[in-house]
Amino acid sequence: MTEISKIAPIPLVVAAGSEITPRMRALAIVVVVSAVSGLIALTSGGYWLSNFTQAYCMVLAVLGCALLYGQLGLVSLCQWALVGVGGWVSLRFYHYVHPPFFVTILVGGVGASVIGMIWGLPALRMRGLYLALVTLMLAGAFQSLVTVISFPVGGPGFLGQVGASGNDRINMARPVFASSDTGYFLFVAGATILCIFLVEAHRRTKPGRAWALIRKNEQMAVAAGVRIVFYKAWAFALSGFLAGVAGALLAGLFGQLDASAFPTTNSIVIFIGTLLGGYEVWLGAFLGGILTRFIPALLIDLNVNTNAGFMIFGAALLFALRDPLGIGGQLTILAERLYKKYQAQRAS
Amino acid sequence: MIKIDTLTVQFGGIKPLDDLDAQFVAPICGLIGPNGAGKTTLLNVLSGFVRPTKGAILLNNALLLGLSPRRRVSLGLRRTFQQELVVDELTAMENVQAIADHVSRDRAVARREVGLALDFVGLSDRRNTLGRQLNLFERRMVEIAKTLIGRPTVILMDEPGAGLNESETERLRRLLVEIPSKFNTQLVLIDHDADLIASVCIETLVLDFGKRLAMGPTRAVLNDPVVRRAYLGRE
Repeated sequence: MTEISKIAPIPLVVAAGSEITPRMRALAIVVVVSAVSGLIALTSGGYWLSNFTQAYCMVLAVLGCALLYGQLGLVSLCQWALVGVGGWVSLRFYHYVHPPFFVTILVGGVGASVIGMIWGLPALRMRGLYLALVTLMLAGAFQSLVTVISFPVGGPGFLGQVGASGNDRINMARPVFASSDTGYFLFVAGATILCIFLVEAHRRTKPGRAWALIRKNEQMAVAAGVRIVFYKAWAFALSGFLAGVAGALLAGLFGQLDASAFPTTNSIVIFIGTLLGGYEVWLGAFLGGILTRFIPALLIDLNVNTNAGFMIFGAALLFALRDPLGIGGQLTILAERLYKKYQAQRAS
Repeated sequence: MIKIDTLTVQFGGIKPLDDLDAQFVAPICGLIGPNGAGKTTLLNVLSGFVRPTKGAILLNNALLLGLSPRRRVSLGLRRTFQQELVVDELTAMENVQAIADHVSRDRAVARREVGLALDFVGLSDRRNTLGRQLNLFERRMVEIAKTLIGRPTVILMDEPGAGLNESETERLRRLLVEIPSKFNTQLVLIDHDADLIASVCIETLVLDFGKRLAMGPTRAVLNDPVVRRAYLGRE
């Protein structure tokens, strides 16, 4: 083993020629999300701005779903319920403590993360259809529960409810610098960028590599010394955190949340968005999340029954079956090819 | 050194391993036998994936049975599987780094070990190549590099030469014989290629229906008429 000490450390990522480095990928995240967000902020208002803010919250939920499916092959159908958990926890915390908005978001994220991990623990030994069904049942259980207890609106007691008139309802305040709709949309866009960075940081370091081993072959991962339950629980926790942040941001958008906005079917729509956008690259979650909100919003705008959205998603799934990379995966490959072609031309 | 004492594995009425006694002492040991002889079952028992019905296994005088697979990894036990399990989405280096994350002492050591392992298997130039872009030989080399991380004491290799052509098998052969001295470890090799076993392994255990058919110096074992009849199909 003496040879080991003689070898100089080598960098983990080597940028050579036309290689796409992590720094370039990070820059791409900032540029793409900022450009799309800037365009939306400049051109949209009222109805559409509110819908795009919700769409960005969906992006975070899809990001968590894509993390579980793309990294571990786990189908979680309770992501929208965890968004609700994050919203509930952040509203409850806000009305108790009146903390700064950032803290409220973090508490919402951590709350959903803990619940997500607790929900995930019994399911850690499950895969495929069984895990999907168990998580779907949990989403259904949350819908039933939140319909009974409702979201806190600043009243007394643990549940924070007010009288039947509802006149004493208190809204969650947005941060001062993001009190306008446009300002809040840009704030949510910033949070989205940070969350994408958080996931990318995981994917490209120790946990991401451990997840990759687990997905490839659990026995091989065990033989490599990977703690399977720990890393799966970590993935559930991170996925729950992203959903929780989305819930807290939604609570900030509307000031309060309504139980009817958290149907179980939305968790399925989030999974469809994950497949449509593509679960292997961040751009997939970004586009998939936007689509899951944009299509229903467009149908409402056109006075078409929103259930038609399921038909559109169903038809689009055929595309996803044909091409598992999804829209985001295809666009990423195209962008990388164009970049390498450009580099080759420059070199010649 | 691995010592196996009256090891029995029973699945219902079938005994993949039946009162097996053996001792792997040489730096490179072979494990051969016809299909269904119990070779992979023995590797799975050694790795902790299969619980034996009775018997004991000692790894450098430490009792293995009762230890979790992860604990065995921390004792320096490494293995490869029959099918190569390189992750397509990770680079060659990340595939090896993924093991170092869990078995190396610290990050600096991990980086050095990853560099050394990739150098040893001749993949330094391909370290940033994605798994899906590596050919079969390179993927086999990544699998070997993964076992060299974190001061291995015993490496169990399950058919590392499967699917390789003659020149690649020759390169593999040269590599295997260097592993014990370079990495201060013992190699236990399962392979159907009798030539590879003959040229690499110092001593060899032959299994047949879960029982020990022969054990000793490889040449002598391979020339044993009983072994030739049972394994090679000729006398």
